[in-house]
Amino acid sequence: MPESDIALQKYDALRERADAEYAAWRNPERPRIDIAMDTSSLANGARATGIAIHRVISERNAAVDMGQVHGYGMQWIHPSVQITFPNGETVLYGPVRPEDAGRIVDEATGTWGAAADIRIGMITGTHEGVPSIRDHEFFSLEPRERRLMRNLGLTDPDNLLHYIARDGYRATARMLGRHLSEEAVRNQLNDAGLTGRGGANFPTGVKWNFLFGAAGDEHYMVCNADEGDPGAWVNRVVMEGDPHLLIEGMLIGGYATKAKVGFIYLRDEYPFSVERMERAIKEAEAAGILGDDVLGTGMEFRLRVVRGAGAYVCGEETGLLSSIQDSRGMPRVKPPFPAQRGVFNKPSNVNNVESFANVPLIIQHNSEWYREHGSDKASGTKIFSFSGDIPRVGFMEVPFATRLEDCLRVCGGIQGGQLKAIQSGGPLGSLLPPEALPKLILQPDSFSPWDAIMGGGGMVFMNDQTSVLVMTEALAAFVEEESCGRCTTCHGGNQRQTEIIRRIIDGEGRREDDPNLALIDRTVQFSNCVHGQFSPKITRNTRVHFKNDFEAALLGVDPTLTLKGMYEVYVAHQRPEEQAAAAADICPTAAIQGEPGRRRVIDEACIRCGACFDVAPEVMGKRAKAPKPGLVPLA
Amino acid sequence: MPLETEAKARVRALVADLRPNNGDMMTALHRVQHEFGYLSKESLEVIAEQLDMFPSILYGAASFYDEFRFHPPAQTTVRWCSGPACRLRNSNGIRDAMLVTLGMEELHEQTEDGRVGMVLGQCNGCCELAPMVWLEQHGEHGPTQTPVGNMNAARAVRMARALRDGSDLDGAINA
Ligand SMILES: Cc1cc2nc3c(=O)[nH]c(=O)nc-3n(C[C@H](O)[C@H](O)[C@H](O)COP(=O)(O)O)c2cc1C
Ligand code: FES
Repeated sequence: MPESDIALQKYDALRERADAEYAAWRNPERPRIDIAMDTSSLANGARATGIAIHRVISERNAAVDMGQVHGYGMQWIHPSVQITFPNGETVLYGPVRPEDAGRIVDEATGTWGAAADIRIGMITGTHEGVPSIRDHEFFSLEPRERRLMRNLGLTDPDNLLHYIARDGYRATARMLGRHLSEEAVRNQLNDAGLTGRGGANFPTGVKWNFLFGAAGDEHYMVCNADEGDPGAWVNRVVMEGDPHLLIEGMLIGGYATKAKVGFIYLRDEYPFSVERMERAIKEAEAAGILGDDVLGTGMEFRLRVVRGAGAYVCGEETGLLSSIQDSRGMPRVKPPFPAQRGVFNKPSNVNNVESFANVPLIIQHNSEWYREHGSDKASGTKIFSFSGDIPRVGFMEVPFATRLEDCLRVCGGIQGGQLKAIQSGGPLGSLLPPEALPKLILQPDSFSPWDAIMGGGGMVFMNDQTSVLVMTEALAAFVEEESCGRCTTCHGGNQRQTEIIRRIIDGEGRREDDPNLALIDRTVQFSNCVHGQFSPKITRNTRVHFKNDFEAALLGVDPTLTLKGMYEVYVAHQRPEEQAAAAADICPTAAIQGEPGRRRVIDEACIRCGACFDVAPEVMGKRAKAPKPGLVPLA
Repeated sequence: MPLETEAKARVRALVADLRPNNGDMMTALHRVQHEFGYLSKESLEVIAEQLDMFPSILYGAASFYDEFRFHPPAQTTVRWCSGPACRLRNSNGIRDAMLVTLGMEELHEQTEDGRVGMVLGQCNGCCELAPMVWLEQHGEHGPTQTPVGNMNAARAVRMARALRDGSDLDGAINA
């Protein structure tokens, strides 16, 4: 039998099993309640909800089964569950608390309407009076047919056969079976215009060309799953929602670059992703999809997960490589590039999770199909995560060039005030002013005029109730903490940068702070890696885009009353006394003193933690402090 | 062979399948910390031997990473989310209120009796629950982590007081 037929035959055999199992899952004999299980769902209490539902089912001996899916994108309705009925209709519910368990089981067992108020929409099928989830405003910017997130809600992420039944590993089988050459694979990626999703946007196919052409035959394929930018959880969605999509992307990468071993460097903060990826790798090995005889063709490809340990710079590719190789995760000078010297000093290639996830889709369809979405500058789709002062926190997959303003709209608009700033691209990214919003489209070059980057996909919207300097300090402190310490410019410069911002927040701004920050900016740029080079960007953005706020803060003025040194807390009303007493009681420094009716705040003791406002909103007040005398506005 | 402490023998068994120059260091450190809650001096010696590294080099590498500890963790560790969405909901106030309640100057300290510790945490993308903390404990079956969302400063004070005074997790969460 020619080798080519083997891969396809093995695939067909798997597919047959998969189709049968998946059909039974999609059209179950008895209704099934699937709990959404992912990092967000778990944090929202999915386990407790699952246990409660399980208990009701056993108590009633109800003819209902249970299973799991990944959340669909609307994290604000977590914990969510789906009911799949024997006719194949699947309905999404949320939030489903343990006390709703009875109603959910009622709904599943025929009392349609028992959980009507927490019904969100139809994942599949139609039902009178229930909208399709695809018509929900939150997903209105997504393509009708999802690509990267196509399996969310429609498969059990832990089930390899579900992935296969939904055309998974088909691209691999055809590639191996029909001898799509390594070069043809790489060319397809280049034709599709796939660029890296880790932030630098380098063409993926070109990087793979480097590795393919590199010396020797010991090559490594490395996945950057370090996703360190706070507010970005795009890679998590891929790994927990469809782990085999990543595995398949890496497998195709191994084929196209002659790499026989792959590493997935996964951040420590995602233990659930680690679990899912490791389980998926084991299943793929057991099915002969990974290992020393991939689909019977003799191709070798193995995968390993390496768990990070809380170092942000390990997301930088050379830092990541060092960390895999038993050392400190310190970025080093390039060249040599990873394609020359990577893991174990052998040629390697590092790509982001989402970059890999696109690969099977491109190979399975083709580059024209891929280009149907996006623009001529950025083709395809990308997952973005949205958080901050918005009512709908979650993630969605949109074509490149989608307007950011539209994203904010479908997230429910800004909440609690006016839009003040947008944080994109993580701590090395940007703080964008509201004027940028109408002009921004989700495509890297659109961010450049604002001295900003789009980054890995995290977008945080801020209202005007918190000073931008609070965010500036948070990000500056992050970059300082995470400096690896190699370059004096970076670790020393970032310490000074953070110190200055903190002093300003304490109401001790100085005129020379602005020129000094500019000096730090010019100096720190001379650091070895992008961490140092980009680290002064946040203060630069603050100084340029939020000039008025920054200069006012230098003078000790902050209208938001959120900068510690510029306001004081006082007892605005002595009544209601229960509140006043509660305030005195909760204050962790006993700063609220005096008899009932004569309570007051001892300013020196007050740490401005805000606990008293939480318990005594009608009693406590804030007022601006007189700014330090003698400061002159900047010229 | 010299007599080994029981702990050393356990570490040896844990890392027995790991090899030098095979990218196994992170795995070794995680396994041991998962089991014991921290990396003791003697455990580092065993790992170094297994991976054919100098203990000093291994320690130098391990200490680079925020998540590796070289002292036993507190009974309960409060992991405070330092992420952006939480900052917009007064997470700074939550941090400061807890620190002062626990009598600590800054993060990464413990109360003198070892009951409560506080560390800096990173956003893991559950920002719909902002502001949040995670409560961590290390039990017989490894570490557990309980996310507690929708915090505010007052709740943080009550939680810190409860933990300081010896309350269990449920007590602290519902304080
Ligand atoms: C400090 C720093 C942190 C980074 N963190 C990540 C990360 O968490 N994930 C990621 O994919 N890329 C990160 N990068 C970019 C990587 O160095 C690299 O460009 C990327 O992994 C390449 O993959 P891609 O071509 O698929 O985007 C980081 C870069 C720097 C300088
Ligand atoms: S910012 Fe705290 S959970 Fe995301």
